[in-house]
Amino acid sequence: MAYSEKVIDHYNEPKNVGSLDKSDTNVGTGLVGAPECGDVMKLQIQVNPETDEIVDAKFKTFGCGSAIASSSLATEWVKGKSIDKAMSIQNTEIVEELSLPPVKIHCSVLAEDAIKAAISDYKSRRED
Amino acid sequence: MTFEQPACQKCKSPLISRLFCFSCNALQPFESEIDLFEVMGISIDFEINSEELEERYRRLSLELHPDFFEAAPEEEKRLSEKASVMLNTAYSTLREPTCRAGYLLFLFAKGKNLNERTLPDGFLQEMFFLQESLDELLESSDSSALNKMNEDLRTRHKEIESYYAPLFKNFKDLPEDSDILQQLQTHLNAERYLRRLLDRIPLTD
Repeated sequence: MAYSEKVIDHYNEPKNVGSLDKSDTNVGTGLVGAPECGDVMKLQIQVNPETDEIVDAKFKTFGCGSAIASSSLATEWVKGKSIDKAMSIQNTEIVEELSLPPVKIHCSVLAEDAIKAAISDYKSRRED
Repeated sequence: MTFEQPACQKCKSPLISRLFCFSCNALQPFESEIDLFEVMGISIDFEINSEELEERYRRLSLELHPDFFEAAPEEEKRLSEKASVMLNTAYSTLREPTCRAGYLLFLFAKGKNLNERTLPDGFLQEMFFLQESLDELLESSDSSALNKMNEDLRTRHKEIESYYAPLFKNFKDLPEDSDILQQLQTHLNAERYLRRLLDRIPLTD
């Protein structure tokens, strides 16, 4: 199977790899997995609590090129967005942007799940 | 568990393998959704006799080999190719415990609505942690620490593989109990994560 050019770009030069301070109450962490292939993805967001804007995002993914590219793209897309806007990102948009083939659609689902998990983690931590 | 004994389409003798009649040496036409246990002619069970599987594979691969059908009519030639591919699929799936367990689960879980994504509690966090630790070890090339991790992971991998047989045995007694199949699904998912970790560790002598 051939990867699309955009997948290869994100794979060779992933954007926003790393981690944010988990203990910071402005940081939300999402950890999700795809048991069908053994992938695990961590996506973190840092939010400005005054404006609800995502000011930074980092990820670390152990998985195939498509999973890495999907999460790299997800961090790029959420940055600068409000958490509500970020919550509405659909995996199909990731599929389209990266031209993922049907067998790799679950990678984009994983990235969407990771965004949602990070946001709900942020929200629950603010409530505590 | 057994299946109805099929008969040769040519001489009507009972078939051992669905691919070939050992009595009259006729290739057997087959559907592509054919059961892999029927391909090998062994009963549908997690417990298998490995020697029997090996022997059956050797015998069938000789009989089905497309080289022997060079002079045969086109249709038979194609059937021998199709049968050889099917034989290899069945053999490679059934010989290895995790693949065999996965295939049996696929057979048994039909219509049972299992959750295919279950993992043991806290497992994902642990796998992420282990993947990160492995990153560090690979970067530092600390071979003794890598060997230690390799050994630990292999022990756990073996442990997971040891769960299959008793669960399938339980399921034989309680074929209505979907929870047993769900547990198998969880172990198979965990196995995949461990294998992904093990695949990243370079082999040393």
